[in-house]
Amino acid sequence: MSNFNKVAVLGFGKMGGGIAQVVAQSGREVIVLDLNDAAIEAGRQRVSDFLNDGIRRGKIDGARRDEVLARITGTTDVAGLAGVELVIEAAAEVREIKRDLFARVAAIVGDEAVITTNTSAISVSDLATSVPRPERFAGLHFFNPAQLMKLVEVVGALQSDPTVIRDLVAFGEDIGKIAVVVKDRPGFLINSLLMPYLNDVVQELDDGLASAEDIDTAIKLGLGYKQGPLELLDLIGLDVHAHATHAAYEATFDSRFAPPPLLQAMVHAGTIGNKSGRGFRAGKDA
Amino acid sequence: MTQNIRKVAVLGAGTMGSGIAVVAARAGHEVRLYDLTDDKVARGLDIVHAFFAKSAKLGKLSPEAADAAIARIVGTTDLGDLAPVEVAIEAVFEDLAVKKDLLPRLEEVIAPDALIHTNTSTLSVTSIASTVKRPERVVGTHYCNPAALMKLVEVADGRHTAPSARDRTLTFLKDMGQVVVVTKDRPGFILNRFLIPWENSCIRALEAGLATVESIDAAVPAALGHPMGPFKLLDIVGMDVHHQVASRLYEQLRDPRFAPPPLVERMIAAGDLGRKTGRGFYTYDDNRLFGS
Repeated sequence: MSNFNKVAVLGFGKMGGGIAQVVAQSGREVIVLDLNDAAIEAGRQRVSDFLNDGIRRGKIDGARRDEVLARITGTTDVAGLAGVELVIEAAAEVREIKRDLFARVAAIVGDEAVITTNTSAISVSDLATSVPRPERFAGLHFFNPAQLMKLVEVVGALQSDPTVIRDLVAFGEDIGKIAVVVKDRPGFLINSLLMPYLNDVVQELDDGLASAEDIDTAIKLGLGYKQGPLELLDLIGLDVHAHATHAAYEATFDSRFAPPPLLQAMVHAGTIGNKSGRGFRAGKDA
Repeated sequence: MTQNIRKVAVLGAGTMGSGIAVVAARAGHEVRLYDLTDDKVARGLDIVHAFFAKSAKLGKLSPEAADAAIARIVGTTDLGDLAPVEVAIEAVFEDLAVKKDLLPRLEEVIAPDALIHTNTSTLSVTSIASTVKRPERVVGTHYCNPAALMKLVEVADGRHTAPSARDRTLTFLKDMGQVVVVTKDRPGFILNRFLIPWENSCIRALEAGLATVESIDAAVPAALGHPMGPFKLLDIVGMDVHHQVASRLYEQLRDPRFAPPPLVERMIAAGDLGRKTGRGFYTYDDNRLFGS
């Protein structure tokens, strides 16, 4: 059983920063790699802002914030990752970028380290072939925002050693998450279920089944979901969903994943949800 | 409390009918609860009484208000007793032939402008209205189970429903404190239209070994904010009920997403219907995970 006491996160974006924070909150040392000092500074600032918000809402105190921040170090040099026991990659969702990064990181961290990817759209078994020891490679899929979302999917690549999967489940639970083991399929578990449902709703909306507001109301009141599907799409971002479901479609040719025409049209029109101020529900008077 | 106290009929004193009778009586309406036999009517009234007794005990209603609401519901096995109602809500067995047989007989006794509401979940409002002389006053009103607690009602016009009948229906429902969504006369309306493929895809993910019963039920609420996982819900709904609803939607839509996956039929064959048989995706005598 490995505790993964020293962890590297690749990428100090919103996702990488969130993962780094969660891991640091569990008492572990985290080193975060990004391309330049500005990216690292911006990433640290986001984590700091998140923790400060926690202080404002009375969840944590200043000492806790300082302690968590002190356990997170940034680096722009892959060599700085020497000695880590676990790598969690949260870089851009581009296959070639990830493969290149894994090859360089694997050469530094050594044979015993476990290397994982937080990809949501690329095959973990494919990415595993970019490292010398694919049996020590797996998926570790967090949900956005990683600090708040309780689930982490532990994705076994075809090559993954079962003990690596076991260790990652224990790690996931130790950092306070619900860790579930899933297969390496497009969308893994949650997104493979969610994407067809969201696509289906968008198509039915376009087909005039009911208004966007009434669909959300029905789902929330009738099924007790916290969010209706259309407000959820506004939150995720229509562009993000369209990209993910298109990737799943290309990997499966399963029409349930095909982005519906209305979704594509709204992406083209720039009405992509909350971040653009307009979407299915955003920007409309309820 | 509604402004217009109306006379309302509820046809069918089962779980849904009794629940709808509670909603109407709580809003101040005078309710006639109809079923075929005295036994069925008595069972429905028992459900109503138990509900109001619990509401009073929980402090949701004063004992006096609960007693008054109970007194507003009268049981009957005589369709003729429904003559004075302004709204007749049909909540009989979910069988097209049964509903098509009942509605013309109901229509003979009620006023020409009385509304006829059909509480179907999977049948076509247009088909249900096809045997009445004045289909323009038939409106689909799908309450959720348990009707006495769930605020949502899906409202759907049939092909011949008059806009005025739909508007009167919306007002009637809103006055009772229900939240109304307007949808179309399409199989499954909104809720079952999206719930059935969702549950089926979770069952198929399980069949495919994508994850276990336990892990899917842990993952879905954690990631998506659902009140419970799909398999806990299916165990409550019952595999037989899920199979029936899914099959009925599949028959109408011919879309494989609605077809019950093979595991559903295997579980029914094994008698593992869910909570009501003590075993479904889980066992309920010792709470341990079964199968998966």
